[in-house]
Order: sequence, then structure tokens, then C-alpha cells
Amino acid sequence: MSNIEFSNLNKSFGKNKIITNFNLKGKEDEFLVLVGPSGCGKSTLLRMIAGLEKIDEGEIKINNQIINDLHPSKRQTAMVFQSYALYPHMNVYENMSFGLKIEKKSKEEIQNKVLNAAKILKIEELLERRPKELSGGQRQRVAIGRAITRNPKIFLFDEPLSNLDAALRAEMRVEISKLHQQIKTNMIYVTHDQVEAMTLADRIVILNKGNIEQVGTPDEIYKDPDNIFVAQFIGTPKMNILEIEPKNVLSNKILKVLGNEISFNELNFDKKKYFIGIRPENFDLSDNSEYKFSPKIELIENLGNEKIIYMRLDEHQLSAKISTEIKINKSFGFSLKNIFIFDENGQRIRS
Amino acid sequence: MKIKNIIIFSIISSLLLVSLIAIWKILSTLQGIKLNSLNIQIIFFIGFFITLLNTIISNKINLIIRFLIFASIFIYIDGYLIQSLPVWYNIGNFLIIYLYFVKIEKYNNNFFVNEHSTQTIIFDFLTLFGIVLFSFVILFPFYMMLVTSFKTQIALLVNPLDFSINFGQDLKDLFKSYFVIFKSYKFGKYILTSTIVSLGTVFITLLFAIPAAYAIARLNFFGKTFMSTSILIIYMFPAIVLVIPLYTVFSQLGLRNSISGLLIVYTATTLPVAIYMLQGYFKSIPKELEEAAILDKLSWFGIIVKIILPLSIPAISSVALYVFMIAWNEFLFSLMFLDNPNSFTLSRAIQYLSGDAETPRQYLMAGSVIVTLPVLFIFVYFEKYLVSGLTAGSVKG
Repeated sequence: MSNIEFSNLNKSFGKNKIITNFNLKGKEDEFLVLVGPSGCGKSTLLRMIAGLEKIDEGEIKINNQIINDLHPSKRQTAMVFQSYALYPHMNVYENMSFGLKIEKKSKEEIQNKVLNAAKILKIEELLERRPKELSGGQRQRVAIGRAITRNPKIFLFDEPLSNLDAALRAEMRVEISKLHQQIKTNMIYVTHDQVEAMTLADRIVILNKGNIEQVGTPDEIYKDPDNIFVAQFIGTPKMNILEIEPKNVLSNKILKVLGNEISFNELNFDKKKYFIGIRPENFDLSDNSEYKFSPKIELIENLGNEKIIYMRLDEHQLSAKISTEIKINKSFGFSLKNIFIFDENGQRIRS
Repeated sequence: MKIKNIIIFSIISSLLLVSLIAIWKILSTLQGIKLNSLNIQIIFFIGFFITLLNTIISNKINLIIRFLIFASIFIYIDGYLIQSLPVWYNIGNFLIIYLYFVKIEKYNNNFFVNEHSTQTIIFDFLTLFGIVLFSFVILFPFYMMLVTSFKTQIALLVNPLDFSINFGQDLKDLFKSYFVIFKSYKFGKYILTSTIVSLGTVFITLLFAIPAAYAIARLNFFGKTFMSTSILIIYMFPAIVLVIPLYTVFSQLGLRNSISGLLIVYTATTLPVAIYMLQGYFKSIPKELEEAAILDKLSWFGIIVKIILPLSIPAISSVALYVFMIAWNEFLFSLMFLDNPNSFTLSRAIQYLSGDAETPRQYLMAGSVIVTLPVLFIFVYFEKYLVSGLTAGSVKG
């Protein structure tokens, strides 16, 4: 049982502000995924929790205890590095027991903990091997095992799967998810891969330029994004964003979108710029759609079970994701309930 | 294309043959054969035609038969027609030609159809030629040193150019010079002094260099950039510039003729390069390893001892080897600071002996062999540690 809390966290490298006024309260034992484009400060945040980076301003609390000035080894966190960082001159057993040995734990206790962790990760037969004799996936397991033996309150994962190939990544994703169910403790996971974020997280924190764009469960993030950044970050291909010029705001209830006049009864529009978002998977080809448009199809990517269609209508570049079964004809359709509206600053307007 | 390639190949490969035969001829003159001349042009032409014919008929006749035919032609012309030479010389020739045939066997008819074959041939044979020539240039003086050390005074005076070793004599006579230098010239003591000084220098240098290199590679402190760039500045001053002021200082302090004095100077001269080499290696160790170690509750000192050192064994041993060789072979400082034979190092002792006109040359050479051997053995032994790659597997790479 543990939780983590950030209040007014600030961090800068020289003149670059990496993290500005970061506030977040974690829930008990949740799997928190920090996701964002590279350079958004997510790894720095993780390293600040671990104690590898100094905290400029603000506080980090674990179980209501401020850990700002605690030595990294006293914070009861364990980190899994992107590059594994296994000690090459020690075998797997020594790698996993190294921290315990330095704490001068008894031999039996060390052995129990290591064997237990090895059992969880199914690496019992690898204990005598050196890191260089292991495959990428096995190395990552050992790195996770090393974290488990330290019995931390909070696990920190720094893009642990980005060095693995696609198939192995999917496999390890499942393993990590199972691991969380098994050892029920707080995990903070940094990634730039939205698939990992969606599949692993209890809650996702989407970061951009050191600021939180949105915090929520994967479902909330996908179905109810706060702004254009979040809407486009989650989902492949990314959400289509259409710019609506002031002249296309026909009245305070009606917008002209892709040639259709759409009325929004619960909203009030001003004569200014708006953005409309529609996810590629929400376009359809059936005849009974609410609204229709006939774009020029530029390219079709066949992914086997579905097709991605790149098309163009006037100045708008659009993409659609359609099941392979459906025959592609000239006109595409969409419905009102799948439309997201954003104001000129990219903030969501909710009805 | 093909014909041009074959001709170029024949010319280049026969050059290699010529250099091999020429070296063999020079070596055999040392064993007492009197040659009228090396006959390089004739060997070249024979070699050229043999190679050309061999390449042309290579698909039709077996290697052994071809080799026997061409080798007998070559030996008949070189060993009997031009000048009648002893059998052992011709056997040597025979072996050289055999090696040569094995070497050129892979360049058969099909090979020359390839566009790039000329380049391949040129680089292949340049490499071989270089290896043969330079190893001869390096090994020959060494051979002379060895041979001279096995001679008696009389033999040297009778024929100073005879470089053969007379293995017929008693072993005791053969190694007489070595017994003499240990008995009458106290070489045992010099070896001891040199060993103490060299090992001491290695130890002290590493003691200072490892923490210093780690600091420069990893820690941030004021003046770090200046420190790391100015490390090698000491090498801008030739040792001869430093040696005179040092002489006066050491005289004042009473450090002349003492091992501790030498240790100070040697450490000071080897430390910069040691730091420079080590910090480069330390920088190549992934930073995540140290961060993982910090999370495992290791202190800075613990990180150096338990993580950095085990991973840097290749680098540290090459630095140790390098420092040892510098200290063992160092001459200028020992010449200036040591004038009491009781505290001589090996190189200083040899200089002392050679300064004395009455010291027989074979003793000098025996001394030189003794100076050279330890470095040679250490190098052979340490060589396996010099192979890096111990960090493989720790991180993705």
C-alpha cells in the first residue's frame, strides 16, 4: 500500500524549463503511465522520483513523507532502465542480489528473495548466466527481477520495452501487466508508445513540454480528450482535425463541416475559428449516415483486417480506418455523436 | 582485362618471392655462404615466368606436381647453374617456394575474370610484403644481439661479421656471458632495482590515476575542462628541459641515487598519459550502470571499486603495461640521477658498461637481452587482458 504525490514541482536544466508547476496525486497501488513526445520531461520526472536528478522546487511525497532530500537508496523505489543497466561482470543471481548484499542482509533472506523474484519472472534457469549470454527479453526480465528483490514501495520503469522488437514487446507488455496484478504495488511507467500506455495503465498522464495535458483512465483519455494534443496523441492514425474558418460558422448553433451544415443544439458559437475532430475509425461507408462527403482518395494502405484510406477534400487532409470487408465507394459518412469540438486554442468545448 | 590482371599479379607476386629469397640469402650469408651477388633481377624473371605459367596451367595439373616441376626449375637455376650452393640452402629455397605456391594457389584462373581482382591482389601482396620486410628489419637487430651474446671474445675478434651460432660447444660456454654478467657485473641487483622501480611506478601511478580519471570522466567540479585539457601539457616540455632543474632540486633534497627519487619522477611523467587513457575508457562505461549502483546503495568509492574497476580491467592492464614499459626502459632520468653503481637500474647499468672500453661486447649484448626479455614476456602474458569488450551485454548496443 503506497501512494505518491507531487506538488508544485519545478525543474530546469540551465535555461531550459523542463517541468513547470507539476501537480499530481497518485492513487493507492495504481499503475500510472507517463506518456508524451520525446523531450516532454517524463524521464526527468521519473529520475527525480528515483533521486538521480535534483528537485529544483516543490515536493515529492511517498506515503505522505517528503522524499526530496532522501538518498536515492532510501526512497524505497526501484528503477528499471531502458538500457537494462545490468552489471556485465556479474551473473544473473549476483545482479539481482547485489543491492541486498550491500544492505548486508542474511544469506538465506537474499536467496529467498532472489529465487522468489526469479520464479515470478520465470528466469530460474538463467541465474548462473552472464548478461551477455542473455537475449534482450531475458535481460529485461532480469532487470525487472533486480527491482523486485529490492521490495520497493514504488516501481519506476523508464521506457523498459523500447529496446525490444515488436513481438517481444507485446509479450513483455502482458508480463508487466500480470506482474502488477501479482505484486500489487505502485508502478510508474514512462513511455512514448501510446499502445503501451493504453494497455498497461490504470491511469494515463499525458505530458507535453513539462505540463500535464490530461490525467485519466485509458477510456476517458480516448473517449473524452481535453484538448487537441491529447486527442491527436492517442489513437492511430491520429484524429483528423478540421479547421473551421469564421465564415463557416453559419449561426450560433450551426457549423459548416465538410460541406454539411451541422447543427449543435446545446452549444453557442461565436463568429471565430473552431476546430472539429473526427477519429479515422469513426468514418463509415454505409448509406444511412447522418452526414456525408465525397473526398478524393489519394492512397489506400491495406493492413489485412482493415484499410487506412488517405483522402482529400478541399484544403482538408483526412484519413479513415475502414474494415477490409466493406467496399469503398465515393462517399464517406460520419455522425454527430462522434464529433469533438475544440476552440481556437485547442481546448475542448463540451456540450 | 584478364591478361592484364594475370600479368600484374605475376609481377607483384614475384616481387614477394624476390623479397623472401633475398632475405633467405642474406640470412644464409650469416651462416657462412659466400654469394657473388644476390642476383635479384634473375630471380625476379624466373619468379615471373614460373608464376605466369603456373597461373595459366593451374586448372589442368595438380598443385603438388606443378610445385615440384617449378621448384626444381627454380632451384636448378638459382642453386646450381648460377652458383653452386650447399644442399641446406636449397632445401630452404624449396620450402620458401612451397609456401609461395600455397599462398598464390587461391588466385586461379576464375579469380582474374573479376574486375576488382587487380586491387585485391595489390593490397593482399602489399600487406604480405610489409609484414615480411618490417619483421625482418625489426627482428634482425634482435637476432644480432642474441647471437653476439652467445659468442666468445676470441670468436668475435676473429670474425666480427659471422652471425652464426655455434651450437656444437658446451652449454656452459654458450651461456658464459650470462653467467659472467650476473657474477662479476652484479646484474641480479640491477634487475631487482629495475623491478622495484617499475612495479612501484605502476602501483603509484594507478593509485592516483584511477580516482583522477574517474573524477574527470564523471564528476562535475570547478576547472574540470581546464584540468582535462591541460593534462597532456607536460609532454610539451622535452624531458631534457626538466632534468636539469630537477637535478638541482633532487640534490638539495638528497633524493639523488635513491629509488624514491626515481619513483617520484617516473610517476610524474607517466601519470598524465595514464589519466588520459583511463578517463577515455571510463567515459565509455554506460552511465546507467552507475545509476543502478547508486540505487543499490553504493557510495562513490563503492562504485569505483565494485563497478568501474572490474569493468576496466582491460584498460587498467594496458595502462599498467604501458607504465611498466616506460619505467623499465627509461634512461634519461636514471642517467642523470644515478651515479652510484649500487642504485643502478638496468638501462643505466648497460650504459655504464658500454662507457667502459674494456667491457667485452658479448657481455653488453647479454645485458641487453636481459633488459628486453621481461618486457617481451609481460607483453605476451598481458595481451589477453588487452582485449576489451567486457562491457558487452550490460546495455543494448
